[in-house]
Amino acid sequence: MDRDASGPFLPWIVAVMVYLATLAVAAALLVNQVTERWQKDLADGLTVQVPPPAAEDSAAAYGERIDQLVRLLSDWPGVVRAQRLGPDEIAGLLEPWLGETGATQDLPLPGLIAVELAPGAAPDVAALTATLHAVAPGVLVDDHQRWLGDLLALGQSVKVGALVVVLLIIFSAATAVVFLTRTGLAIHQRVIGLLHVIGAHDTYIAQQFQLHALRLGLVGGLVGLGFAAATILSVGAWLRASRNEVLPDLALSLGSWAILLLLPPATALVAMLTARLTVLRSLARMP
Amino acid sequence: MVRFEEVSLHYDAGPEILSRVSFALDPGSFHFVAGPSGAGKSSLLRLLFLGQQPSGGRFSLFGRNVAGLSRGERALVRRRIGVVFQDFRLLDHLTVVENVALPLRVTGQKGQKIHEHVTELLSWVGLADQLNAFPPTLSGGQQQRVAIARAVIARPSLLLADEPTGNVDDRLAVRLLYLFEELNKLGTTVLIATHNESLVARFSHPVLRLKDGSITLERAPYVTSSTAAGNAA
Repeated sequence: MDRDASGPFLPWIVAVMVYLATLAVAAALLVNQVTERWQKDLADGLTVQVPPPAAEDSAAAYGERIDQLVRLLSDWPGVVRAQRLGPDEIAGLLEPWLGETGATQDLPLPGLIAVELAPGAAPDVAALTATLHAVAPGVLVDDHQRWLGDLLALGQSVKVGALVVVLLIIFSAATAVVFLTRTGLAIHQRVIGLLHVIGAHDTYIAQQFQLHALRLGLVGGLVGLGFAAATILSVGAWLRASRNEVLPDLALSLGSWAILLLLPPATALVAMLTARLTVLRSLARMP
Repeated sequence: MVRFEEVSLHYDAGPEILSRVSFALDPGSFHFVAGPSGAGKSSLLRLLFLGQQPSGGRFSLFGRNVAGLSRGERALVRRRIGVVFQDFRLLDHLTVVENVALPLRVTGQKGQKIHEHVTELLSWVGLADQLNAFPPTLSGGQQQRVAIARAVIARPSLLLADEPTGNVDDRLAVRLLYLFEELNKLGTTVLIATHNESLVARFSHPVLRLKDGSITLERAPYVTSSTAAGNAA
């Protein structure tokens, strides 16, 4: 069986399939990691945005207004801490988009107050906003829910997309195995016929094919995983080297790598079962 | 051992190869199946090793109705049948020893015992010096003996041979027939299909003669029995 013409193709087909599946699953795992991290970071916090000082406002009056807001927020039920962000911190937040140009000095930027909530606290944002409005009209209270909701929806879409890709890849791999096994059956028809006549059970004959498919599938799967791991590590290294601050850190966790390691044996198992079913169905046509 | 009751065979919409054939073979018997080329000798053997389903009638092997056997049971029945094919059907990528050991391997037997058993049998058929040779390097006669060794290695209850002397000279053909007789003396029921009438004439075994889809039994000195349904034993 090792010498049949279909043999060399199976590992390469499986390698390509596992390569694509690994990238799709890795993308889904990364998105999951990132959304979980962002959700954790943002869920227990609020951001209060104070409109930039009007022309008639003095810096001292503007500062006093923000301090008053911080005090109000600190006393609000469920708030652990409220802290005004300084100009440097605001500039740091804008740096990924505007660069280190110092242009923030000339821009009318709103004042920002970061509010840390007690775990599980859900303050009445409307009431809070109304209270803060009395001190500083035009103030905005952002509980990140809309943004977080959009982010989670995006993450969910990516995960569903990855699942569809993986299912398509499994279907394609199984179809390829069916055709290659049928080719193998045709090539080995003489051997199969003889084994059948001398009393081999169908499962014995199928075993020869399924073990062959398992071995080739495993080899192909490991090759595909190797190339995919190299791709993932290279992209991660490139992103770190380019000091990209818009995208989060795209390093996969150990748990995610463990999931990716399951792909080659899972694909080999699909190849093995497909080969077994194909052979058994063909043998069922023999008397 | 074998009982055919009005068994018919035709392929698809083709003509009948066998037409309501009846006969029986007793355990330990030795028969020839004779007839011209195309008479249906190979088809009859194919029915017997369960390589073909009959179009009609009923036949039983080892006391069991073949039609009622499950796939697993059919495989077990085949293990009790040794077949020598006209074209040998040796596997070219396996050595002589591996070819002969195949029927034992499919039953799950492994190891040194198989090797010893196979080597002993190959010595008996005069191939002790060709154990690790591959079939394409052997002569026709040697390949024939490997095929015979493979057919008998599992001590079958029924041995079927399709033109086993078709590829060898007369001297070797006679030797092979003596070999089959030795197996028969050990209790194996033997059925040999051949169109070599001179060979049939040299041995005093009953003959199932196939002609126009019918079968008649001839006993030495080859007087045709009354009907196609005669008991061949």
